[in-house]
Amino acid sequence: MRKILLLMLLIGVGVFYTLPLMAQDKTISGIVTGTDGKPLADVTVMVKGTRAATKTNSSGSYTIMARSGQVLVFSYVNYGKTELTVGAGSQGDVKMTVASQQLDEVVVVAMDIKRNPKELGFSTQTVNGNELKESQNENFVNALQGRVAGLTVNQTGGAAGASSQIVLRGFNSLALDNSPLFVIDGVIADNSTLNETSNGGSQLGLASDRANRGNDYSNRISDINPNDIASITVLKGPEATALYGSQASSGAIIITTKKAKPNGKLGITYDNAFRIQKLTRLPEVMNAYSGGTNLVPAATFSAFGPRYTGEKIYDNLHNFFETGFSQTHNLSLEYGKKNTSFRFSGSVFDQQAAIPTNTYKRYNLRLSNSTKIGKYIEITPSISFINTVNDKPLRGASGYLLNLLAWPGNDDIRDWSTASGLKKPLFNANPNADLDNPFYNVYKNRSSDKTDRFLPSFGIDINPTKWLSLTGRFGYDTYKTVGYTQYDSMSFYLTRAQKGQQDNYYRNYYGYNHTINLTAKKTIGKFNGRLMVGNMWQDYEFQQWAVVGNNLKSYSNTDSNNTDPLTRVRLSNSTKNLPNYSIRRSAAYFGEASIGWNSAIFLSYSHRFEESSIFPKDFRKYNYPAASVSIIVSDLVPGLKGKILNFWKLRGSLATTARSSSPYANQSVFNNVTTSSGGGFAYAFNNNNLYLNPEKQKTFEVGTELRFNDNRVSVDATYYNTKNSNLIVEGFRSSYATGFVLNTLNVGANKNEGVEVALNIDLLKNSKFAWNTRFNFNKMWNKVTELPSNVPEFYQSDTWTYANARGGLVLGGATTTITSYGYARNNNGDLLISTTTGLPVLDNNFRVRGDRNPDFTLGWLNSMSYKNWKLSFLWDLKVGGDIFNATERYLTTIGKSVRTYDRAMPRVITGILQDGLENTATPTRNNISITPATNQSYYTTMPEEEFIQKDVNWFRLRDLSLNYTFGSNVTKSLKAVHSLSAFITVNDLVLITNYGGADPQVNGNTAGSRGVGGFGFDFGNLGTPISINLGLKASF
Amino acid sequence: MKNKIFKYFLVSTTAILLCSCSKKIDDVYQNPNAPTRVPVEALLPHIIASMAANAEGHGTMNDIRYVGAYVQNFQYAASLSVFDEMGYNNSDVAQSTWRMHYYDIGQNNVMMIRWAEEEKKWDYAGVGQAIFAWSWLTLVDYYGEVIVKEAFNTDQITFKYDTEETAYNLVRDLCFQSLENLNKTGDNVSQANLAKGDQYFYNGDAGKWKKFVYSVLARYYNHQSNKATYKADSVIYYANLAITNNADNAMVKFAATAISGTNSFFGTFRGNLAGASTASPTAIRQGAYIANLENGTNTAFSGEQDPRAWYLLRGNTAGTIKGILPNKGQIASLPIATDRPESFYGVSQNSTSVVNTIPSTDAACRFIFRNDAPFPIITASEVLFMKSEAAFRKGDKTLALQAYTQAIDQSFDMLSTTFNVNIPVGKEITAANKMAYMSSIVPGSVAGLNLTKIMLQKYIHMFAHGVLETWLDMRRYHYTDLDPLTGQQVYKDLVVPSGSDLFIDNAGKLVYRMRPRFNSEYVWNILELQRIGATTNDYHTKPLWVVTP
Repeated sequence: MRKILLLMLLIGVGVFYTLPLMAQDKTISGIVTGTDGKPLADVTVMVKGTRAATKTNSSGSYTIMARSGQVLVFSYVNYGKTELTVGAGSQGDVKMTVASQQLDEVVVVAMDIKRNPKELGFSTQTVNGNELKESQNENFVNALQGRVAGLTVNQTGGAAGASSQIVLRGFNSLALDNSPLFVIDGVIADNSTLNETSNGGSQLGLASDRANRGNDYSNRISDINPNDIASITVLKGPEATALYGSQASSGAIIITTKKAKPNGKLGITYDNAFRIQKLTRLPEVMNAYSGGTNLVPAATFSAFGPRYTGEKIYDNLHNFFETGFSQTHNLSLEYGKKNTSFRFSGSVFDQQAAIPTNTYKRYNLRLSNSTKIGKYIEITPSISFINTVNDKPLRGASGYLLNLLAWPGNDDIRDWSTASGLKKPLFNANPNADLDNPFYNVYKNRSSDKTDRFLPSFGIDINPTKWLSLTGRFGYDTYKTVGYTQYDSMSFYLTRAQKGQQDNYYRNYYGYNHTINLTAKKTIGKFNGRLMVGNMWQDYEFQQWAVVGNNLKSYSNTDSNNTDPLTRVRLSNSTKNLPNYSIRRSAAYFGEASIGWNSAIFLSYSHRFEESSIFPKDFRKYNYPAASVSIIVSDLVPGLKGKILNFWKLRGSLATTARSSSPYANQSVFNNVTTSSGGGFAYAFNNNNLYLNPEKQKTFEVGTELRFNDNRVSVDATYYNTKNSNLIVEGFRSSYATGFVLNTLNVGANKNEGVEVALNIDLLKNSKFAWNTRFNFNKMWNKVTELPSNVPEFYQSDTWTYANARGGLVLGGATTTITSYGYARNNNGDLLISTTTGLPVLDNNFRVRGDRNPDFTLGWLNSMSYKNWKLSFLWDLKVGGDIFNATERYLTTIGKSVRTYDRAMPRVITGILQDGLENTATPTRNNISITPATNQSYYTTMPEEEFIQKDVNWFRLRDLSLNYTFGSNVTKSLKAVHSLSAFITVNDLVLITNYGGADPQVNGNTAGSRGVGGFGFDFGNLGTPISINLGLKASF
Repeated sequence: MKNKIFKYFLVSTTAILLCSCSKKIDDVYQNPNAPTRVPVEALLPHIIASMAANAEGHGTMNDIRYVGAYVQNFQYAASLSVFDEMGYNNSDVAQSTWRMHYYDIGQNNVMMIRWAEEEKKWDYAGVGQAIFAWSWLTLVDYYGEVIVKEAFNTDQITFKYDTEETAYNLVRDLCFQSLENLNKTGDNVSQANLAKGDQYFYNGDAGKWKKFVYSVLARYYNHQSNKATYKADSVIYYANLAITNNADNAMVKFAATAISGTNSFFGTFRGNLAGASTASPTAIRQGAYIANLENGTNTAFSGEQDPRAWYLLRGNTAGTIKGILPNKGQIASLPIATDRPESFYGVSQNSTSVVNTIPSTDAACRFIFRNDAPFPIITASEVLFMKSEAAFRKGDKTLALQAYTQAIDQSFDMLSTTFNVNIPVGKEITAANKMAYMSSIVPGSVAGLNLTKIMLQKYIHMFAHGVLETWLDMRRYHYTDLDPLTGQQVYKDLVVPSGSDLFIDNAGKLVYRMRPRFNSEYVWNILELQRIGATTNDYHTKPLWVVTP
């Protein structure tokens, strides 16, 4: 690495070292004051076009060398920039005003359109790209947690390459995708996660048709290089996204990439990070008892045998995990002149996770350009290439972790293979009947994905007159992913007859979209008008081949020819030698009209007309409106704006949008019935309703923005209310009178409400020390307001990960509830106890017994600087929300949970005997004593309700970053180096939680699951590791 | 100038975008992964297979295993079965008929009829309607009130139940629509083309399909024998047009290849007669009632050994034919091991416990319990028995006796031709033993004929394959109705379960209908079930409309 650094330095010295001009300079000095007339400290003063710069001291004064005619640029946080041309004298007093800042600030909203935030009638939040990068999350999505109010990231787990579910303002759809749209420089990019479910091979999914529980596939937006991101704007409400159409009904995440500055210089930056990762959060297991049943020893993984006496007990848990190591190298080159600029960036990320065999590698290359052609035209082409390779262990029910926890303490897991390298069974002669040793599992049951992705895009802006502009954004997004999962022939998850199993898939994506907008602006007196019309075209095509087979020929071959041809099962289109497809195209036309008065009141109305290939011709076209208002009260009411109150805005917006089903959800298909006499075809189970309509979403939000005390304190508060109706539910059971078993229908409705508050305070600000703190508060309520009367419970089947608990919901309840089996109780709510066993009577019905929605979340960001030091950290607080700890239930049923330790102690369960008197005035209290050690049913029959932990809180230090910028004495000695800094970033260092499991950040499914998904389901979930990153950053 | 170019550019771009989009969108609407429309010829095989039992195991054969216990064709090998007790299971057990009608035949048939009419393949449309007429009748007699008017509406999630009469009317209408289509020639009607889909039923013979429709009509009129509107003449009229010769028998045939689903549901390959759990008691044996009818114990045919016995039933080590009592199981019913009948797979039951082994081949199996045995849907004999009963009720006893004689004759012939496989040596039907039996069973004059004789001979003929129809017959006679002529039970010697042998929810009453399919109706259409009173514990004992006056 050092060599590269040295090389960079040499290049810098050799080519770009220029001597500053010294002639005719004179000293300019002055005092910089704020709106209140008080001096401002720490204002940066630069001589335009040179590198000469200084800062004001605590009394606001500065001195700098400049020539007459040169321009001094004063910049200060919250004030923006003020310029002063050097005249004949040497005096340079400047009064900076807040107003100037308002002209500079822009926010990128839909369609890559830059807007003055003043005009916006809806809430947006912007995160600086460097801040994301500094947090050292290779999947930048994870860095958004806590940084944006109303944005929730549910990570699948701590494995390398894990997917993350992103949700803005709660779950609007019960059965469809709730993830927001990702837009890079005005072009839509794919963020899908492979959904394993193929519905019997008729859809994309895997040929083995799985339920998104046992493996993981990256969410594809994680391909993006964090180093290319200049900023991210999160558009949470559908008003903001009304212009993006139905796909953005769950919000949009707008990424703006870094661009080169046209300053005529070559800028080179290089940075790196070296990370070590350690898993410290693991579920507790108890190794006191040997295998057996009711104290009788037996050769079994179920640890209900006698206590170990004097045997060697291994610390298997800690012998398994390794210290993870990863490294990142980022290089970027920028060069720009007056009419054209280029930026090239390259990045390497190479991770070896804490789990053996778990690796993730990513290479990114990107080249972007901006060129002015003639007077009116500017083009911005770019191209990115990404290559990722993810080797990943299985997770959940067939993963290494549960077996690691279940492993008998007296056996050393490291001794997992026979002399010939095969699985060494512990208890069963038949290796397939014996649980997989975790090492065996990670080494022999392998899974990997490889992706190559290209993202070329092209932007054009034509401004023939001052009032008219035409913009076009054209983007192509294509990737090929090749992946496999191989189960060894001796694996517990297969039968001996299967002789191994291998799933292969080949997934191609071709996405094209463009938007073309024509905008006209006109000012008449105090009125500002803006009219935009536009067109959008989207064409997304997935192709997937998938095959699963048994009887593996080789353990090293991972190609699909490794399986026995007679055992292969493929997706439906394979009979035609074609892949399965999922293609959606849509055209949209939209318009937006806004009018502003005196820069204080802004009204805007937009309407979108959409035509989508998902619906049949007759009802393919639909449209929806949106409107918003923004009032700058502080500018409107004279005398309001002053020393204390600097700015006050009121805003409101309402919008309707639509959400469509997945392609072909309205077309019932025939299955081949070669298995019947005469063959032919018959309808599959699914009634794919031809008359399906898009889901309807109606939202309004009101909000306010206030800034106080020289903009040092700012508050942005929003209340939103979203009503979703006509919800599409796919694979929904109903009477067979439809002619089918499963149905796709428009049923049900729900509601999401929430309050988001962002508070920003400059606690301290002087020449040496600055401290900014930011709070992002989020509270959500959600409710199922309509379900058909014949549906007692609706559940997303993927979430049914273990035993009898699942993400079920009922009418009038929250959308995030957990339904499960539980205890039977009398009218008084006491546990009912069986008169024959002395054990609780169970209520084997799926009832609501938990809600995963937190009471509130709070992200707390701090950034401090002192001289050359910069410290920033993010605390993430979550209060409330329930978790189904399936891991704990599993460990309890096999006697490995700590709760089973005191099993020898006789006890009487508190409750009422079910003797017929339980609901009378004189119920019989339970008096039956049981000893779990000899009556293990006490543990094995504990219902799921027992393991739904209520009100789980966390307070975690997501990231902590300390940065030191070397002073000019160091950089000067390095000649070409313009700036040099070093940093240390620690992720997830502190976790304070009341959760009984390892880490409450859990998800039982991948981000490929639809609907609410599996967050809050902990089954063999790996906790978040602690990561320590060290690195250097240099610019030349 | 620049502005002009800009305007042209704008106008032309917009124009291009506008006209090409709609077409491109329409191009990708159709599901490319699986067909949304298939040829009608490819739909019929599965529909036909579902009448018996398709590859997924759904069709009437599936339910016959349980209903056979109601009518005492079969009893459970072990003791205590809810079906021996005339009860039910709160599950999808014995609920295949619901699925067969609404799903397995269901939309496949709806679309086959629609597309056949579009393509002017009138024969396919007629066959589809014929099958629907049959399956609606089967369904309504099985469940009583069912969903008729709202059925097959894919845009609904709850469905209203209609009266049985509504379903009955639909059956009649479908029959006439079917006949109209089957009578058509020209257009795209072709026997060779119909045979493509019909290979395993009538092999494209539309004439036979018409006879099938007339047979359904005969059933339709015959079922209404308790009604004031009963028309014996109509039964006779349609019976005369219907299947009256074994050559025209409506049977589902099986390809019986190495793929399990192409074999008979009752054969050893699919092994569906070994369910040893009381929740799904499919380890069935012949009931004592049928055995006694065949071995001459039943007082209706005292002393007459039926030569058909060794075709229909299983012998025992003692060389006799005996059966099992309802709810007692074979051990208690027949304490002497050598008396216990073999299983239908030919496995000896001499052991101290029930043996439910599935042999690797069907070499020891007979009748419809073989892998390649066709499964009768409607037979000539059944039609003739209907004619006989109707004529008898009408008072035309000469015709009744004539039809009765023909019916028994056809019954013998069906066994000695189609099912003449694996019969023990010396137990074959011969002209002589058939003649001997018939001369005893068939009275010499009309005075000797009575309903008991007609219904019990029909009962014997319908054994195992015609269970659902037998159930309706017995319900028409309310199981224990008396023959006005003899003052004896029509189903002579039939002992219906009582006391602890009758399911507790029945509250002393006998079973008259099946409760609608659990995972379709009780879970997802419960409000409508509440409305029609199907949520009471004894709903299954509510007599059908068709068997009440």
